Amino acid sequence: MTGRGQVRFEDIVKMHGEFSALKGVSFDIEPGEFFALLGPSGSGKSTTLRILAGLDAPTSGRVFIDGRDITATDARDRDIAMVFQSYALYPHMSVYENIAFPLEMAKLPVAEIDVAVKDAARKVKIEHLLDRKPGQLSGGQQQRCALARAIVRKARLFLLDEPLSNLDAKLRMETRAELKKLQRSLGVTAVYVTHDQEEAMTLADRMAVFMAGEIQQVGRPAEIFAKPNSIDVAAFIGSPPMNLLAALFADGDVLIAGHRLKTALQAAGERDVVVGIRPGALRIAPDGLKARVELIEDLGDTKVLDLDCAGTAMRIRVGDESVPPEGAVISITARAQDIHLFDPTTRRRL
Amino acid sequence: MTTKRFRFVATMVITLIFLLAWVFPIVWSVLNSLKTDQDVLAYPPKLIFQPTLEAYRDVLFGSGSILPNLISSFVISIGTTVITMLMAVPAAYALARLRFRGKKFAGFYVLATQMLPPVGIIIPYFLILRNIGWIDTYQGIILIYLSFSLPFAIWLLVSYFEDIPFEMEEAAYLDGASRMRTLWRIIIPQVRGGIAVTIVFVFLNAWNEFLFAVVLSGNTVRPVTVAMFNFVSVEQTLWAKLAAVSVLAMLPVVILGIIAQKNIVKGLTVGAVKGGGRR
Repeated sequence: MTGRGQVRFEDIVKMHGEFSALKGVSFDIEPGEFFALLGPSGSGKSTTLRILAGLDAPTSGRVFIDGRDITATDARDRDIAMVFQSYALYPHMSVYENIAFPLEMAKLPVAEIDVAVKDAARKVKIEHLLDRKPGQLSGGQQQRCALARAIVRKARLFLLDEPLSNLDAKLRMETRAELKKLQRSLGVTAVYVTHDQEEAMTLADRMAVFMAGEIQQVGRPAEIFAKPNSIDVAAFIGSPPMNLLAALFADGDVLIAGHRLKTALQAAGERDVVVGIRPGALRIAPDGLKARVELIEDLGDTKVLDLDCAGTAMRIRVGDESVPPEGAVISITARAQDIHLFDPTTRRRL
Repeated sequence: MTTKRFRFVATMVITLIFLLAWVFPIVWSVLNSLKTDQDVLAYPPKLIFQPTLEAYRDVLFGSGSILPNLISSFVISIGTTVITMLMAVPAAYALARLRFRGKKFAGFYVLATQMLPPVGIIIPYFLILRNIGWIDTYQGIILIYLSFSLPFAIWLLVSYFEDIPFEMEEAAYLDGASRMRTLWRIIIPQVRGGIAVTIVFVFLNAWNEFLFAVVLSGNTVRPVTVAMFNFVSVEQTLWAKLAAVSVLAMLPVVILGIIAQKNIVKGLTVGAVKGGGRR
């Protein structure tokens, strides 16, 4: 199935009255890719997915699938399958009938439908539940039923709208891995909406980070994590979030609370910057930035220390080795390549 | 007696009083319909008597048989119910789901027709029907009944349609179903309870209607509610026959109620708890 399911968004604008939900969004999705739309609620990621599905029409701009302009095409003629956040299972039909419904609408012969339904059910491990009604299933089983209904049709595009958000943490982790395996084995293009950056990082081949109706950055998760291109992306990606502090940049160094740290940026002159350092990139070392330990959060394998650094709150993630007690004053530092610099006015990466 | 026990007994007594008040006219009708005219008028009232089906035989197969009237009532009630449902289901769906110009007003006008006291419009209705020559016709009476049953049915059904999440329909579109197919295969099966409730109420209203029927009907179309009054005259009231007709007129409603009971109870609780009726 590889080679199908290429998506192109061209300058999509969506207005809700005076409010612009999407302010000119453009991106490409390659066939067979697992593409995540990540962003906080209200950032426009769900609107983007609904426009792709054909459930909402854009105010302006064009959408292409496999090179064909489908902006004005009806949702049911787009050959797209979708898993809804609420699963949207048909409560009066059995699991079997739910999964069979899209094939029935495509007017496939009964025998063919039967084979396809059982095959799809087997893939998501619910073949023993086919006679049940959705109301008799657990949350996880309902979610699988919705997945089966989406994959049974072998549509060219597979849309998922926060499909894991109604599951408990443990089940979410398990399903996440299975979802990725399923998508790989089917070779289908998947577009996945989530506000959970961990989910996007683990699942996606590439992702688009949405903020306030605009795409801030598109790229591989590791790439975005390593080089966030704006303060907002930097603050959103990573847990615990990146430390962001105002500082003075002077000839390749930054001055934080009177302490000098080397950066990778080779530039002369002085200017105000926002410095970003991930909690995991900070190390306890002598002759560094002085900070007082306010609180220790024990995560089991690692610990997160809340620090007070001359009035600025910071966080550092440390291993088990040498955890200072609460109240202690420690000295911290970071390598030059781990220091991100942003422009405080444009909020872009320097 | 403990408080709990007292409360139980009190509840039972109150329930019993209400039940008796409700059941008395029915029991009275059933008992009298099985008596001869002499037994009906006997004083003190006879509780033990020789039951007879004479009254039923007379009203069904006698000279003044009410069989044609029962048929009239059936034609009117079924006609009203079928046409009402055919129009109310799509209308309610549209009001619940579609966005169109003047939707708010449409909703208000539908309700506004229910605010008029029926007596106030009976003369205009009579004049309209007389002018188009529809007095004493099935289409005339059904048309007038529709003017009451349609708004009522639409308003009852809208809330059931509103209960179904949008995503359900969107899922059906993406699964390749057209709007009509979605309505038929996905939405209507889920509002079955509401439809059953509406059918029962519409049928019941049409079946029991008297005021309009007595003015707008005639010798050709005369529903059983009007025909019943043949047994009440200035000289005498034929109580046994009147009771027998009442029992006969009650039967279809009772049967319909029993058939639809499960759906009615279910239908009335839908919407009480969000999502409670659906699961």
